[in-house]
Amino acid sequence: MANKIFLFRNNFRVLKKYIPYLLVAVFLIWHSVIFAQERQQQQRFPRPEFESGYQTPTHQLLNQRGPMWEYADVAVLIAALSLTSWFAIKKRSRKGILWMSVFSLAYFGFYRQGCICSVGSVQNISLALFNNNYSVPLSAILFFIIPLIFALLYGRVFCAGVCPLGAIQELTGFRPVRIHKSVEAVLASIPFIYLGLSVLFAATQSQFIICRYDPFVGIFRLNAPFTMIIFGVLLLVAGIFVNRPYCRYLCPYGALQNIFSRFSGKHLTITPAECTNCRLCEECCPYDAILPSDDLKKTEPKEITRKRFILYLVLIPIMTIAGAILLYNLSPALSAVNSNVRLAREIRLEKEKGVPALSKSAAAFKESGKTEEQLFSEESVILGRFRKGTPWVGMFLGLSLGAGLFSMTIRKTRTEYKPDQGKCFSCGKCFEYCPIESKISK
Amino acid sequence: MKLSDKDIKILSGVSQVAAVFTLIVAVTMILGLIQLKVVNPLDSPSLALIKEQYDRDPSEKNIAEEVRAMDLLARRAYFSSRWQVETGSYLLIAGALIFVLTRRLIAGSEKPEPAFASEKPDIISQKKKYRVYLISAATIITVIAIISSFVLRGSLPETGVKIREAGQNTKEVKNAGTDALMAGSTNFPFFRGEGSRGIAGGTGYPVEWNGNDGKNIKWKIPVPGHGKNSPVIWGNKLFLTGIRAGTLEVYCIDKIKGEIIWTASASDFPGASKEIPDSDPEAGMAVPTAAVNGEVVCAIFGNGNLVCFDFDGKRLWAKNIGVPKSAYGYAASLLIYDKILIVQYDSDAKIAIKGFDLSSGDQKWETPRTGRPVWASPVLASLDGQTQVIINGNPNVSSYDPETGAELWSQPGLSGDVAPSPAVNSRFVYVVTDYAKLMALKPGKTGSEVWSDNTFTPDASSPVANDQFLFLTTGAGDAACYNAEKGDTLWSHVFDNPFYASPIICDDKLWMLDRSGIMYVASASGKFTLLAESPLGESSDSSPAFSDGRIYLRGKDNLYCIAKD
Repeated sequence: MANKIFLFRNNFRVLKKYIPYLLVAVFLIWHSVIFAQERQQQQRFPRPEFESGYQTPTHQLLNQRGPMWEYADVAVLIAALSLTSWFAIKKRSRKGILWMSVFSLAYFGFYRQGCICSVGSVQNISLALFNNNYSVPLSAILFFIIPLIFALLYGRVFCAGVCPLGAIQELTGFRPVRIHKSVEAVLASIPFIYLGLSVLFAATQSQFIICRYDPFVGIFRLNAPFTMIIFGVLLLVAGIFVNRPYCRYLCPYGALQNIFSRFSGKHLTITPAECTNCRLCEECCPYDAILPSDDLKKTEPKEITRKRFILYLVLIPIMTIAGAILLYNLSPALSAVNSNVRLAREIRLEKEKGVPALSKSAAAFKESGKTEEQLFSEESVILGRFRKGTPWVGMFLGLSLGAGLFSMTIRKTRTEYKPDQGKCFSCGKCFEYCPIESKISK
Repeated sequence: MKLSDKDIKILSGVSQVAAVFTLIVAVTMILGLIQLKVVNPLDSPSLALIKEQYDRDPSEKNIAEEVRAMDLLARRAYFSSRWQVETGSYLLIAGALIFVLTRRLIAGSEKPEPAFASEKPDIISQKKKYRVYLISAATIITVIAIISSFVLRGSLPETGVKIREAGQNTKEVKNAGTDALMAGSTNFPFFRGEGSRGIAGGTGYPVEWNGNDGKNIKWKIPVPGHGKNSPVIWGNKLFLTGIRAGTLEVYCIDKIKGEIIWTASASDFPGASKEIPDSDPEAGMAVPTAAVNGEVVCAIFGNGNLVCFDFDGKRLWAKNIGVPKSAYGYAASLLIYDKILIVQYDSDAKIAIKGFDLSSGDQKWETPRTGRPVWASPVLASLDGQTQVIINGNPNVSSYDPETGAELWSQPGLSGDVAPSPAVNSRFVYVVTDYAKLMALKPGKTGSEVWSDNTFTPDASSPVANDQFLFLTTGAGDAACYNAEKGDTLWSHVFDNPFYASPIICDDKLWMLDRSGIMYVASASGKFTLLAESPLGESSDSSPAFSDGRIYLRGKDNLYCIAKD
């Protein structure tokens, strides 16, 4: 009997490790069943086109979610951020962070179906900043600002356990493969570009590309375009090996978190006490976000360091201006993201070169009675907005690159192994590699 | 948890199967999605075929049922594909979930082993490497951006630049088009002149006359037979058709002297139909206008009698091509292209376009058309370097090769009682009918509607276009001018009487003859300027003919020659 109890206890201890994953599986299955039932009711023959003059009743929309619930979401966000910060910095519990991921995935992911989310709120803020007619919901502002405030205070705790997009990847990434640094350098620049373009497209009232190409919202809702569901699932499978691929190589809000987290007052540390420089954690971070200690013993001649410092300092404004010129030059091409610009160009091509305008929007335009002059003038207005916005985006990208390069010319004394505050997701994976941590735990 | 080797092996197998399964589902879904995106269920060839059969014979109830059944089948197949893709997404997620869980279990049994390099990384060289990587990445992205800015700019024209280019292109096309739309000053061979396009050549035509007091009326003769057809002219000979005491006749008239040179019957040949099919009481049997070339004149009548005479009135051949029956009677005028006589045949029982050998009358080709009968006439046009016969059909505007009868292209057009003939310029085909709309079409297989408007829609009168303007007159007495390229209404004017006759562009003027016989002469420009208003003194529904400074008008009873005194 005692043997049996021992075996049960032993097995339970082992199983406990997998409870978060099993819970996620249960959420997903439960969610799919509920959704499939709803979907089944919608599997009907499409509405016929009546010729008898029958007026189809107006579609009844469900009432909007009450504002109180939006504030409840904000409260949940603050609570989740606070708890994750506590788990990451005070409690130093990887398990706690993991459980926060499960909660956030369940609440912000499956229950709130990925909306509202801080990642997408970048666009609401951009649109509101450049368009007086758009009134941004207070909850969107708070979802945008609060995680950034926490990043300034405690690092990327939002990415660690609150963002549903990060959570779903965190739970599926467990076989890390290290990416070559050259590839990493190219891919890591994409979020900054994505951020710049998202802001530009939202500010010019063209598109909310972050929401449109959100790879996981399809899984949360199960009614997104199938291409996005496929993309999301393939990204998750890839994420087993290349951990958090969306967070690292795409997420525009991650780029902002990266910038804010660099200045965080109290960031997660690898070791709970003084680092012994044992180097056991050196290769453990799947995100290559651990900076080794540097005692400045090996140095370069001062002349070389000084020249490089000046060169890269001068490069910052040059790159900023070059970025502005480059992006300004790209504005006609980028403006094609706007559906009205595309339509205007399609109609113009038909008129000038006889290329038939066959798209649905062209057909709708022809039926609308709107004149070509109106359409072309709208195109000009939008192009004008792009011409105003692109130099700023270019400046941001040039400045980011220049500042990034410049930061690599600066060398500071570092006596311990510590997280790269920009890149570190505060996931706490490194805790268990630290022998001091193990010693304290025991 | 330390799993046994056997457990790991099993889990590993399961994860591999799940991975393959997930990949297969993903690929299948992608292919399914492409198919859904590309294939329109209602484009099925068998469905199109059966619909075509139905269009030919709408009274056949079995075919209608078959169309419905096939349509339902096609839609079901489409929605079934959609359902499969939707189900696929559940399978995909399930497969991925199993894969993730099994891999997690396998990974969980392995305690993370700290691994570190034997030597501590050199910070200086590491930073140097990072700088190189970052600069390389930035360079790659910049190069891609620069290339994109040029490539994308090339395919997506920029507003200002391209508008200027368009202006240049238009000018070039206009010059080319003006040549293509030029008409001779002597011959006016078909309904609405050369190619039946409504454009006449020559200058010096009088704009003022009065049929009541004889001002500028060179001569006036009674036309023996009743008819609504219009005069056609070759050299000094003018031809008309009519019906007198039940006999169908062709008249050859000296255009200078105003004398009937000969009259020939189109009712007395072997096989001629004596039937007088139902038609609009106002229209009658002699609505289609004759066609003439330098050697022969051909005429067709409301009972399908088709005749061909030489210039001396000798009948070369004659035949009945079937009595056409339709709501308003037969109305399509003839065209001659090279050695082929082109007949647009419209009857409730059958609609087609036919080509006859001009010298023998043998049918050289016949192309069935789909849809319903119309009362418009075909137009001969040169578009995209090819001579084409354009028909304003219901429901399609179609183009045919005049030599072989092969259909060149067909596009959705108008519905209802289609009577106005198409207008063409060097770029577009324009069709219109009342209670529908005016459409400008880009011709060709890949062509489509360029613009449309439903403000001014004639019921009988045909529009006329050059490369700059499209003009039309309506049964409500309106006249309107559109920008031929963009469709903007440049001007409109309401006259007192309705128009049935088609307007003609000649000598930079627009000639509009209303039903009361008043000819309104306006400047053929984008600004309405009425130059003259000349009464014939007799009602008229026939379109005017222009030749060598003389205008020929067929009134209800008389033919008039109008020239400067």
